[in-house]
Amino acid sequence: MSLQHLLTELVLMPIIAFVVGLFLVLMMRKLGARIQRRVGPPLLQPLYDILKLYGKQTQISHGLIHEIGIVMAVGGYIAAETFLPVPGMNGIADKGGLVTLAYIMMVPSLGLAMGVGQCANPNGSIGISRALTAMFAYDIPFILVIFGVAYQYGTTSLTDVIAIQQQQGMAGWGVVQMPLLFIAGLIALPAMMGKHPFEIYVAPAEIATGPMVEMGGKFLGGLFIMQCFQYYTISVLFVTLFLGGGENWLTFLIKVFAVAAIPLSIAYVFPRYRTEDVLRMMWKWPVILGLLGLALVMG
Amino acid sequence: MKRKDISIPVEQPKRSNPLANVFDELMDFCRSRSMFMLHYCTGCGAIELPPAMTSRFDMERLGIQPMVTPRQADILLITGYVSIKTLKRVIMTYEQMASPKYVVGICSCTVNGGMYWQSYATAKVLKDYLPVDIYIAGCMPRPEAVIEGLRELMSDIKQGKANSWQRYYKNYDYYLGNQQKLFGDNWQTPTDIIAEARHYNLISEQTEGKHTAVLQQHQKPLEAFEARLKHQQGQAREQ
Repeated sequence: MSLQHLLTELVLMPIIAFVVGLFLVLMMRKLGARIQRRVGPPLLQPLYDILKLYGKQTQISHGLIHEIGIVMAVGGYIAAETFLPVPGMNGIADKGGLVTLAYIMMVPSLGLAMGVGQCANPNGSIGISRALTAMFAYDIPFILVIFGVAYQYGTTSLTDVIAIQQQQGMAGWGVVQMPLLFIAGLIALPAMMGKHPFEIYVAPAEIATGPMVEMGGKFLGGLFIMQCFQYYTISVLFVTLFLGGGENWLTFLIKVFAVAAIPLSIAYVFPRYRTEDVLRMMWKWPVILGLLGLALVMG
Repeated sequence: MKRKDISIPVEQPKRSNPLANVFDELMDFCRSRSMFMLHYCTGCGAIELPPAMTSRFDMERLGIQPMVTPRQADILLITGYVSIKTLKRVIMTYEQMASPKYVVGICSCTVNGGMYWQSYATAKVLKDYLPVDIYIAGCMPRPEAVIEGLRELMSDIKQGKANSWQRYYKNYDYYLGNQQKLFGDNWQTPTDIIAEARHYNLISEQTEGKHTAVLQQHQKPLEAFEARLKHQQGQAREQ
């Protein structure tokens, strides 16, 4: 592959991720509105929000680390996009793999922790400690799922995982081969997206949106962009592991939106667990299912 | 109380670069279509907001959604009478918001004191203390009226007319004077408005005056808030 081709892909992949992410956020808000029998926001609402936040004329910064933290949060996901193969574009996916991706997906939370730390707002500190606790909770089932998939297909390369699934057709998809791991991943999905019933770190009514409490203007805009990338990364990873990736853009996007719709529609009908209950639940049910699934895969 | 006429023009001159004008118009459009509101629920008007936000009238279709902290918000909704104690919090909240920011006074109480016009404990006219963009009168205004008022604000923002946040910087002496009349001369907020006005080049002749001179006499520099539990403070003192 020529260098020029690679560079084009590295630029295109995050941009596509951002645009798809905007529509995922729109879908979340529209779903919420429909469930609550409202009309919901117009088509370009997520874009208006981000543009407006970047267009604020006074920006309140709490220092250098505050700004670097946001850059890390967004940058971590931008890096993750280049490791996620999409139809027609592999980027540097064959250089990395599942383990690299799992590692990079922790960077945004750590960047956010740094940025929020400098704001010195008690609500923000509580929020970020909860966010890291939630990461701690969902990472155990997530790693089990990744391990099971890698064992099943005999590789940690995402391009190979997709190729094997597409060769074998629908019967070779992860969801058919490893149903228990699929369910474990499905339970961890809302926690990874930070949605109800595991939305412990945003909690607007309790800790005033936690990590976002001191963020205004471009900082909040950065977090909105991060949210777009977050939804995209997690849905695409799930599609890659269990639903055979995408043969073409149409089936790929249908799968991505279908996967994202599951936690997002659950989110609007459930209240929220407490932090320790999230940890207990995450370490119990998805882990039991994941271990059983692992036993089936390895047996 | 005789009210000073503070209607100095605040509209910005159009920029000469046509592309910059297009960009400004795009920004104004985005601002008008995405308004995050912080409702400071004082008084009775707050009860009209839940129906305006939820399924009956659904503000989100206009891009208006509630936010929980002043840093994130664009509109400050004052929904009813403002007691003197509340007004201090309202001013501190307003000063923490990022510009462009808009104040919406809902109910008659914010216009002229309403049914509390005789009370010794309420601030009668909100626009003496904060630059109000739009008033929605009524006791209380129904959700239709609230949405109508917010749509008015939207069209003002779209045309670039809702610039009253600049008036707070450019006329700070006037607003501070009124605030000092209520709260006493040692009134100080955590936000240094004069320094901000200087930083963002929003300073005018009326930013500083005899009231800000009073403020600068006793102004203390801000210190970081020491987050400690009470018993820890005791231990620290013993050490």
